[in-house]
Amino acid sequence: MRGTLNDQSLIYLQIARMLEDDILRGVYREEEQVPSTNELARGYNINPATAAKGINLLVTDGILYKKRGIGMFVSKGAEEAVKRKRRDAFYDGYVKPLVKEGASLQLTGQELLDMIRRAIQEGEEA
Amino acid sequence: MSAGVLKAEGLSKSYGSKQVLQNLDLTIQPGKIYGLIGRNGAGKTTLLGILTAQNTKDKGEVTYSGQDVWENQAVLDHICFSRELQPTLFSGQNSLKVRHYLHSAAIFYPNWDQAYADRLLEEFQLDPKKKVCQLSKGQMSMVTILIALASRAELTILDEPAAGLDVVMRERFYQLLLDDFAQTGRTFIVSTHIIEEAASVFEQVIILDRGRILENSPTDELIDQFRYVSGAETAVDRVCAGVEVLSRRTVGRHTTAAVRVDPGKLAALEGAEDVDVSPMNLQNVFVALCGHGDEG
Repeated sequence: MRGTLNDQSLIYLQIARMLEDDILRGVYREEEQVPSTNELARGYNINPATAAKGINLLVTDGILYKKRGIGMFVSKGAEEAVKRKRRDAFYDGYVKPLVKEGASLQLTGQELLDMIRRAIQEGEEA
Repeated sequence: MSAGVLKAEGLSKSYGSKQVLQNLDLTIQPGKIYGLIGRNGAGKTTLLGILTAQNTKDKGEVTYSGQDVWENQAVLDHICFSRELQPTLFSGQNSLKVRHYLHSAAIFYPNWDQAYADRLLEEFQLDPKKKVCQLSKGQMSMVTILIALASRAELTILDEPAAGLDVVMRERFYQLLLDDFAQTGRTFIVSTHIIEEAASVFEQVIILDRGRILENSPTDELIDQFRYVSGAETAVDRVCAGVEVLSRRTVGRHTTAAVRVDPGKLAALEGAEDVDVSPMNLQNVFVALCGHGDEG
């Protein structure tokens, strides 16, 4: 997990995103336990209610589930679920602003696509 | 039903001709950490004093678990208001020693945890033999924090605990507060001017402005109602039509407006053409609500 909460988005969303990042990177694998609300609260100096809100968001999305009396665990298929969720968000969060910024620079659609292809190529070469 | 609920209704208080609190209502639910923020002179300390029957009121009612708090020891046993220490007492220096304060706290608070107090005394490296007037501002804050935490009172109130503390100590204070809260789940009200670093600790935030409660809301729900909208003046005006604009600033032809929107209208605002819409933090929200135009 990243060590700090520093962007401007709401803290419970940042907590949820940090846990998702860790699931994508394999820090927490399916059927493994994730930190408790109190551990998160302590680790990041945040109110436990805020940490719980972040965790509950992931429960609603089927990414985490609760084992009674033990704690929170990563669901089966969580990695896929996170990826699906991120892909949907990717369009709104990255692709649309990219197109908007391109338009304000008067890039044509073709020029934008060429740039993306070039970036993919450079990424493959690196 | 009202167990542990602190309730103020119709509170008014004046000092001479200056009205400090104006017909104020406030409910504090048990088991939450509340942040109390307000500008200098907003009435924070007066309010906290009245809530805990340490200060008189002109009008209104304060109850805890449904019982009037005024001169009601059975109720006040559950409430700790750890006031800021003063370097002077009456007309002279405050030559009371740290141990005098700790000793009276131990007598006064029935749930006083001496072992906890000793641990904190050690951690804060406070010398109990020192006179209060010899302490630094930060050390005075440490004494008030120590008393508040070790009181183990159901409802614990800290007034400006972060004042004079260095940044390491402030972080340590929030850790101690959260640790205690995780163990006990008791109710805290914490006033502070150092808003942003405390925002993540507060489940609920109370904004006091010129003697009135402007907000008493879950912190994240409050913050999420506010946005900055910036771009060409005409575009900002168009997008902000029908939206509550709290402040605006124009540099050249570029305008930034601080706006408050209903959650239902947020998506429309964020999708607006030709403007940038960005989130605020609690400090931004506070300035937008309480700046009254003098933020520049």
